[in-house]
Amino acid sequence: MRRLGRVTLYLLLAIAALTFIYPFLWMTSSTFKPPIEVGTLSLIPEHPTFDNYRTMWARAPFGRALFNSMLVATSITSAVLVLGSMTAYAMARLHFRGRPVLNAATMLVLLVPGQLTLIPLYTFIVQLGWIDTYAALIVPYLFNATAILLLRQFFLQIPQSLIDSARMDGMGELRILFTIVWPLARPALAIVAIFTFMGSWNEVLWPLLVVRDAQLMTLPQLLTVFALGGGAGSVGVSLASAMVLVVPVVIAYMFLQRYFIESMAGAGIKG
Amino acid sequence: MASVSFEHVTKRFGTTSVVEDFDLVVEDGELLVLVGGSGSGKSTILRMLAGLEQPSSGTIRIDGHDVTSQAPRARDVAMVFQDYALYPHMTVRENLSLGLRLRNVDKAEIERRVLWASGILGLATLLDRKPKALSGGQRQRVAMGRAMVREPLVFLFDEPLSNLDAALRAQMRLEIGSLQRRLRTTTVYVTHDQVEAMTLGDRIVVLAGGRIQQVGRPIELYRAPANRFVAGFIGTPAMNFMDGAIAREDGRASFVSHGVSWTIGDSAAVQDGTPVTVGIRPEDIRVGASHHAAPDAVDAKRSEDGGPSIAGRVLLVERLGASSHVHVEAGGHRLMVTVNGDSPPELGADVALRLRHDRVHLFAPDGAALCDTRSGDDSIG
Repeated sequence: MRRLGRVTLYLLLAIAALTFIYPFLWMTSSTFKPPIEVGTLSLIPEHPTFDNYRTMWARAPFGRALFNSMLVATSITSAVLVLGSMTAYAMARLHFRGRPVLNAATMLVLLVPGQLTLIPLYTFIVQLGWIDTYAALIVPYLFNATAILLLRQFFLQIPQSLIDSARMDGMGELRILFTIVWPLARPALAIVAIFTFMGSWNEVLWPLLVVRDAQLMTLPQLLTVFALGGGAGSVGVSLASAMVLVVPVVIAYMFLQRYFIESMAGAGIKG
Repeated sequence: MASVSFEHVTKRFGTTSVVEDFDLVVEDGELLVLVGGSGSGKSTILRMLAGLEQPSSGTIRIDGHDVTSQAPRARDVAMVFQDYALYPHMTVRENLSLGLRLRNVDKAEIERRVLWASGILGLATLLDRKPKALSGGQRQRVAMGRAMVREPLVFLFDEPLSNLDAALRAQMRLEIGSLQRRLRTTTVYVTHDQVEAMTLGDRIVVLAGGRIQQVGRPIELYRAPANRFVAGFIGTPAMNFMDGAIAREDGRASFVSHGVSWTIGDSAAVQDGTPVTVGIRPEDIRVGASHHAAPDAVDAKRSEDGGPSIAGRVLLVERLGASSHVHVEAGGHRLMVTVNGDSPPELGADVALRLRHDRVHLFAPDGAALCDTRSGDDSIG
């Protein structure tokens, strides 16, 4: 009886897992199907082909978009990690006038929806003459309030004596941050890196506003323009271009998943 | 090596005063212990000396140089923290050498000092381990080694033994003491444990409420406490206190409490009726057979050695082996007496307590020691 219950449970879980994984597998396999097969639910193409990828690559500058997306997401992620942890460290460990105000202001920024600042920010970018530049894609995202607060919370858990000890050993604050605090905060930094990278990688709305030059378009932006604008021509080609978007994120996740799961599981527990 | 001086140092956090007018000189090569309860300001004083806190006012000098506004790294002091504060991601060797590497010390010299310190502290085989793989005592030694390799002007210890178990604490206490005597580096040691203070310190500073209560050699603090706080804080088990008042008659003063009364001589220049507290250490009371049938027969008699004798009844006996602590109800007071462990009195027995007259302390209502009752053989009688 107990065995039956267990089997039923696993069966239900397997079905649930399948509902998540099946669409992705179907999408992956459909990119290798000729147009006639795309309508079927089969996971194995009868006549596998790379035509969809070839067509996609020929019709739009996906290689360039991949490079743009990489550049933008990597720049933003690095900046958020470096600048965010510097700010978070100052907020957690340094005493200065106005620190409570800074804490409150950072919290306040979280409460303002991004869409609300979209138009003022756009106007600002226009005034600066940054339309159709990488700066427009990168600069507005260099600081991230969520990352600052998350890192600050993590830094607060690091014993004060460790920082005092480093000060007495002769370190300055920046060196303490990067040689003592960073190695201890790896799980927090990893989760910030993953979320920032994915957020930047998947961003469509902002690039659509500030970039019109196809050579500067990011991958999701080009994909949106390409697929919605009818450039793809067929479902198979649309799916192939979506695959280009997904694969780098999956690879990044595979590298960082240890930290990702660690930080999810260990949230609130001092390591 | 260097001397350290605090000149009228005060520290306030907002409106709260944590350290008030701290004025003290630590001599070259001395081991000075700052002892006090929580909130006494002892750690704050140490942190100000380390440069981790800025004094609100006053001056701190190391080797005659004003370091009050200098950063920690500029002060040439090394500190051992309560939780050791070892860098968890570095090996023992890296932990020991980091401070030297940051000061651009020559590689060969770093290696020499690391081997020297690890040799003294018994860490030679653990140099490639990370702190996680060490026991509490080993971590403590690494923390000490990290301070030693720096060869600083001053060592600072911030309750370094609090996280260790009793046996290890006693062992490390010995090691710290012998190490300091060997290196003769000026050391300031903070603890809340008065046993540590008594056993380690060349001199002890007792602190309460951010103020110095008394400074002196351990035995001075023990035998001649400046006030009731020091008397109660130093010594285990703690000093017995009896509240009462002074009664003057024919020019001689007597201590009167719950019907007990004994003469304390002329030296106590206190008014008739002044409330006072008598203090006596548990080992300065002798337990003898009772002269009276009942414990409430309370006239203090003069014992053979000249001290007063009070009748009492044994309430509790704590046997410790070599000695026993006997709790006695006597004359409306509960007194603790330390006796030889072989023959403690029975529970409920009627006894006579004889107080050593040369060891009786007298305190005014504000806690200050009233007179040195040890001087003069007629001070109590």
